[in-house]
Amino acid sequence: MKMAYRPSEESTVNLPELHVRTSTFNQETAPAESEPDVKMRVEHLNVYYNAFQAIKDASLDVPNNRVTALIGPSGCGKSTFIRALNRMHDLQPGVRVEGKVMLDTEDIYASSIDPVSIRHRIGMVFQRPNPFPKSIFENVIYGSRIHGQQNGRVLAEIAERSLQRAALWDEVKDRLHKSALELSGGQQQRLCIARSLAVDPEVILMDEPASALDPIATSKIEDLIGVLKKDYTVVIVTHSMQQAARISDYTAFFLMGDLIEHETTSAIFTKPRDKRTEDYITGRYG
Amino acid sequence: MAVTSAALARSRNNALVQRRITDRMATVLLWSAAIAVIVLLAFFVGYITYLGAGAISWHFLTAPPSETNAGGGIGPEIFNSFYILILTLIFTTPIATAGGMYLQEYARPGAFTSLVQFCAESLATIPSIVMGLFGLILFVNVFGWKFTALGGALTLTILNLPALMRVTQEALVSVPQSYREGSMALGATKWQTIRKVVLPSAIAPITTGIVLIAGRIFGETAALIYTAGVSVSAGKSAYDLNPFHAAETLSVHLWYTHSESLVPDADKIGNGSALVLLAMVLLFNVAARLVGRALSKRLTAAT
Repeated sequence: MKMAYRPSEESTVNLPELHVRTSTFNQETAPAESEPDVKMRVEHLNVYYNAFQAIKDASLDVPNNRVTALIGPSGCGKSTFIRALNRMHDLQPGVRVEGKVMLDTEDIYASSIDPVSIRHRIGMVFQRPNPFPKSIFENVIYGSRIHGQQNGRVLAEIAERSLQRAALWDEVKDRLHKSALELSGGQQQRLCIARSLAVDPEVILMDEPASALDPIATSKIEDLIGVLKKDYTVVIVTHSMQQAARISDYTAFFLMGDLIEHETTSAIFTKPRDKRTEDYITGRYG
Repeated sequence: MAVTSAALARSRNNALVQRRITDRMATVLLWSAAIAVIVLLAFFVGYITYLGAGAISWHFLTAPPSETNAGGGIGPEIFNSFYILILTLIFTTPIATAGGMYLQEYARPGAFTSLVQFCAESLATIPSIVMGLFGLILFVNVFGWKFTALGGALTLTILNLPALMRVTQEALVSVPQSYREGSMALGATKWQTIRKVVLPSAIAPITTGIVLIAGRIFGETAALIYTAGVSVSAGKSAYDLNPFHAAETLSVHLWYTHSESLVPDADKIGNGSALVLLAMVLLFNVAARLVGRALSKRLTAAT
């Protein structure tokens, strides 16, 4: 598998020498481990809010069992992009999505695909922790119940396993039947992660999962992401470049709806190819 | 420099004093408004209690009304009030919550949705006497039911549908979008999301809406005079569950004794009825709220 970057039309036009540089670059910085498979492949994605085009012809490969970070200044379309990956835009009238999003070999926007089954396979954690106003236990097993699991013992096992994976078990095991809304913000967010894990997704999308949290809670979430990538493919939107640098293997940089650059995180942060990426990373704007 | 800064400080001070006075005035104004409402309410309740207390007796609360002699009771009327209330709620609640749910969760904004919304709002502004006459034509004459509890309840259903639909919509709007997203992101269908997350979160405000509407149903008179009638059932007992018999409610009786009836103790009956009506509304209010809270607690597991 070659490096998961395919230039958009615009960057091909602007930077004709790009392909040459990419290939030499890859050889130099390719990770020692073997290249991961592609879990999701986005092809020529366009997203419109009514007449406004929020994503312009973005193509991106998401490698399996890796963390891919989406960075860029506010309003660059990174959240719009990630919400297109599990068809969350379907819920909002006035949003139109064009292009292909392949999960393994299936296009999740194909007419034969049920978006409900897609969201079962591609979980999502949101910017603000959004536990349901139910008990901690009911939150975790919500998805399993929805998918028909009724056996109390199985549900209890799922709850314990998921909470342990989300590094929350020890903190809540004595109050599983208390309201989830009594937890702190950081605990609530880990509960939301546990809730996603409980339905055994293949991909976990995280839309700025730590932006509403304090530094300690943030570092817990970051540690957790590092563990999760062993079993899952993670895509994370973050406004913090430090966070992207700390936790991700690949980084994609968005600017005003364009996917400017997509590379290994170390490459993006040490040798950005595009001037705009460099400007952003060095803090010239955003 | 010193002069200007002193002048600046003075003008800033003046502005501060001004703002403080305005703030004080606003507080006083709002306080007096609140107190006026409470005093008015206390006066009403006190006056009604004062007038009605003398009329209340076990006989008064249980005996059937009398057409011409003194000493009639209001037993069947109390029964009918609850009976018609329950009938009405049985019809109204499912239709209105389903309608509100459709408008809020399913309907895409567009001409049809706006039309439904517009119709509902127009329906809500129709005076209840007009609704009563409509019920008279439809249920009493066209269907040939004569004066019936069912006709009264259906008239009240039409009268109260728009309000409860509106309440349902508002209750659903107040449920954070993030709950829906969270549920959908776990692979739940729309209906699962609504049933398991959205409705439980909206149950408390919907219950409040039902309570408010129940108060209106208890108090409704004009819509019932020509549909449920001004006499209690002529069946074997005046306490009659047959929905096709006449069923005069307490508020209709209150109106009737004061305007049409021949009984010499009309004032006493009126005062007593008013007090009982007030107590019923209060009681129902408290009970429904307790049920709503218990339900909400059970569904959301908030301990």
